[in-house]
Amino acid sequence: MTSADTPLEVENLRKEFGGLVAVDDLSFEVNSNEILGFIGPNGAGKSTVFNCIMGVLSPTDGSVYLHSDEITGQDTHETVNQGLARVSQESNPFEEMTVEDNIRIFAVSNSPFAFSSNDDEEVIRSLARRMGLEDELGTLPDSLPHAGRRRLEIAKALATEPDILLLDEPFAGMNQAEIRDLSEEIRGFRDEGITLVVVDHNMRGLMQLVDRVIVLNEGRKLADGTPEEVADDERVQSAYLAGEV
Amino acid sequence: MSKSVTSVTEESAYGYGIPLFDTRVNLYQGGVLAVLLVSLVTVPVWAPPWAYLFALANIWAIFAASWDIISGHTNYISFGHSFISGAAAYTTALLTFNVNPDMAIYITFPLSVIVAVVAALVFALPSLRLSGPYFSLLTFVSVLVATKAVFIFSTYTNGEMGISTVSVLTFDTTMLFYYTLVPAVIITGALLYISRSNVGKVLKAIGQNEAAVEAAGLDTTRFKLWGFVYSAIPMGIGGALLAHFYGNVEPIAFLIVDRSIEIIAIAAVGGMGTILGPAGAAYLFLFLRDEVFKAFLGPNARWVAIWSVVLVLLVLSPQGVLKRLWTFLGNLGGDSS
Repeated sequence: MTSADTPLEVENLRKEFGGLVAVDDLSFEVNSNEILGFIGPNGAGKSTVFNCIMGVLSPTDGSVYLHSDEITGQDTHETVNQGLARVSQESNPFEEMTVEDNIRIFAVSNSPFAFSSNDDEEVIRSLARRMGLEDELGTLPDSLPHAGRRRLEIAKALATEPDILLLDEPFAGMNQAEIRDLSEEIRGFRDEGITLVVVDHNMRGLMQLVDRVIVLNEGRKLADGTPEEVADDERVQSAYLAGEV
Repeated sequence: MSKSVTSVTEESAYGYGIPLFDTRVNLYQGGVLAVLLVSLVTVPVWAPPWAYLFALANIWAIFAASWDIISGHTNYISFGHSFISGAAAYTTALLTFNVNPDMAIYITFPLSVIVAVVAALVFALPSLRLSGPYFSLLTFVSVLVATKAVFIFSTYTNGEMGISTVSVLTFDTTMLFYYTLVPAVIITGALLYISRSNVGKVLKAIGQNEAAVEAAGLDTTRFKLWGFVYSAIPMGIGGALLAHFYGNVEPIAFLIVDRSIEIIAIAAVGGMGTILGPAGAAYLFLFLRDEVFKAFLGPNARWVAIWSVVLVLLVLSPQGVLKRLWTFLGNLGGDSS
């Protein structure tokens, strides 16, 4: 069970697809207000784990706890409203809606009777300002550069007011300067009290950023420790091709 | 910068209210809209013979706009909206035919709307949890079942002949036009408000990517359900109005699946998701079908003509002809601002 110190906990999680075991008896917890790196080679099961946590997939076995409540297999929107948000790997904005309305969908209240709210306008503007999108509010996502689309995804997730944020490969396709800026941004979220889980397939970009790393390989937990400990771990090194970590 | 693209300053000018349109209405759009509205309101003055036809079109504008708020926004295409309006019309008819021919309209009318909403929910509740095609199939089946039921229970429904105990609103076509115009304007305005509101935007977002809306912490099933209710209420009002428009409720004019398809065609020609487009296209569709093509081609061939026109329009402009015209008007004047 989770406590105030471990707001998110995964217990003996197992996910099978037909005969394939994608996640095998995985247990881990996320500590309050840390930046946790969650790494593993492609195909290690990272996305499956997060799909199970978010209710996109139902686990074959095991439990997920959020703030002491079991959330295993519950609808995504309930989990989000309990304070867990995810920025998925691929940007999938509502292409026919402006940047403003894209953020709006994530800011509005979960009620089919709430037709308008001035609070939303404030939230949208401050988030857009924060993510450097204030000049793009009236444009369509299609005309944003790649990094802008990624920042829009983060602005959307933040609009749900999460206390835990899962970032799925946030640095993919970014150049060094963009990675540096985003890392700075992520530290800022932590300073505001948000707990972060950053998923990546290698540790290069994460070493300076994260407090702790969990390494996943073939659906199992391979290592768990500080970035230095994990980088020195021989099992981790052999799980990757030499030099990848 | 073209006027159709909102800049941030324009955006913030209406940012704290509900904008009536996606963008600011320019002079051309406003002018055309005003001329059309004035023309519509004054139909009995400048074209008295058309008052009856446009009164009927008022009701079809209600149907098309009502369909649009759920199907045009969420892309859950309902093939069963004539089932909802038909349920309302048949409630009015059955009450006057089987219970009391003098039953007051202020009793039958609200009852009919309630029955329509309940009937809609019976089919919507199980199907809205399913993905698009299953929803469409179930709504389609609802019309088929209801049409068969009318014949099976012909003792009460009088089968194909229908029930003619419903009081006609008025035999004065001018008054008939205004009795139907007022609800059409109110309902279109209300649906436009919903469409432009946060709720309407969520419904549109569901139409684009339902999983992403779930990830926004929104219960998509609940939004779809209430979207369906926002659609069923005006459908019920339109159905009960239509019963009092004809005074005779029978399956062909009220229920059969052809009527549902017509609603979809009108909405598609007008521009799905715009409310005003489908409402406006109802007038165009009925005018062509019942006036132009009927005069030139007669009562049967006109159907071939109207469906051919719909086909051609949809091929030429899948986004909807009226929506396209609106965008065209919006782009006029271009960089002069």
